[in-house]
Amino acid sequence: MTEKKEKSVLGGILSRGYSAIFYDNWPIWVGGLLIAIMSIVTFAWARPWGVAGGLRNWGDNFFSLIGVYSAQPLSPLISTNSILTLGLLWGAFGSALMSKQFAIRMAPPLEMIKGVVGGTLMGIGSAMAGGCNVGGFYSAVSALSFSGIAMMVGLIIGAYLGLRYIYWELEHLPSGSGGASLREPKEKGFSWLQVEPYLGAAILIAAMVCAWIYNHKALTRVGGLLLCGIAFGIIIQRTRFCFVRGFRDPFMTGEGEVARAMVMSVVLSMLGFAALKWTGLRGEDAYVAQAFWFGGLVGGIIFAFGAVLSGGCGSGSVWRAGEGQVKLMIAVTCFALSMSLFETLIDFSTGLQALMGHRAFLPEFIEYKWTIIGIAVLMFVYYMLVTWNEETDKFTVEM
Amino acid sequence: MVDDIKPDETLDCRGLSCPMPILKTKKAINKMDSGKIIEVLSTDPGTKNDLPAFAKRGGHEYLGHKDDEGFARLYLKVK
Repeated sequence: MTEKKEKSVLGGILSRGYSAIFYDNWPIWVGGLLIAIMSIVTFAWARPWGVAGGLRNWGDNFFSLIGVYSAQPLSPLISTNSILTLGLLWGAFGSALMSKQFAIRMAPPLEMIKGVVGGTLMGIGSAMAGGCNVGGFYSAVSALSFSGIAMMVGLIIGAYLGLRYIYWELEHLPSGSGGASLREPKEKGFSWLQVEPYLGAAILIAAMVCAWIYNHKALTRVGGLLLCGIAFGIIIQRTRFCFVRGFRDPFMTGEGEVARAMVMSVVLSMLGFAALKWTGLRGEDAYVAQAFWFGGLVGGIIFAFGAVLSGGCGSGSVWRAGEGQVKLMIAVTCFALSMSLFETLIDFSTGLQALMGHRAFLPEFIEYKWTIIGIAVLMFVYYMLVTWNEETDKFTVEM
Repeated sequence: MVDDIKPDETLDCRGLSCPMPILKTKKAINKMDSGKIIEVLSTDPGTKNDLPAFAKRGGHEYLGHKDDEGFARLYLKVK
């Protein structure tokens, strides 16, 4: 074989690999599996994965900057909350570029309004439940907190109500589609799409440089969390993993694939968290929010309703914003501002705090082993329900 | 192949994001006769995954997509 031929074979392997990773979307269950692995790695490295806390930090900094808050919040460059969410946005942006899926996508006015309302509701719901679908549900259930279960029930109810609203909107409000333009620079002889993968690679390499700088400034944990966040961003963008679909799709199309992937992911992540907590390697109180049961349940309802309106949950809105969807950028901004305001309100009011509920770490009531079995059984029940619904369409809401 | 498809109806979902393209398609095909072809225009990259899955579940035939200037045209034959 000539050298040239060998090169083209190697080139072929590389380009097939590239297209498998960045052209085709990955199966959804792979997303669930990888998210579970990263969730455990992130907790073992420093702390559980969260998204809304970062948004809150950005909101806090904004309000402090314009003089609404007198206290100076933690810098977004140091706050681990902020770094995880920044990583998610960064990773999704880089990954969308690598797969030539980045484009500024405008939306019709009605969709923009839904972004504002949905984002604001998600902020309020997160403040009540002690986190979004990630920190309030996914990481909370993993962390064996009862409020995570309460939020799960709330999320199911909220997704149902949100879907009912969307159906109503489809019948009664004028169609908002069309007319919305996709703004794509189209200079002659210059194809934006051709450049995207190189830009994406540069952006992901820049993230590693940043992590290296953190390491040099003796902030290794923060730098590592940035990389964890970026891994979440890439995984979620490539699999288009969306928690709100895990709760909405069974009602909407009857599809249970995302729900099953999500449930599998929660159980795996929970096993990892339980190991880290049970052995005393990590604090038992980590991610056990003071939100059982009112905050988790009602916060979950409000959150999921908002998530269905905006078309993305906490993590989902952030990665879609990273992909260039203007509606989700608006939703994320409103999310950050409303969460900051509402959580500050709760912080200042003992009455509201009492209303949200108390901390409930399940092993304190029923030991570790029954907690693990109980959560696994509960998730299995949801798994069976959505699969049964897939066959029978019993819960699927017809238009 | 996909280039030869002559759609009976075109549904413009450009600018809309998940779940609106799927729901609008669902609504539109409810009013269409069996065997008719609907063309869905979408700027949301997710539609390329969601529409085939939706078609499979509903028993419709997904005929494929082609990329246009900044959006995709997806084709579905109603059950």
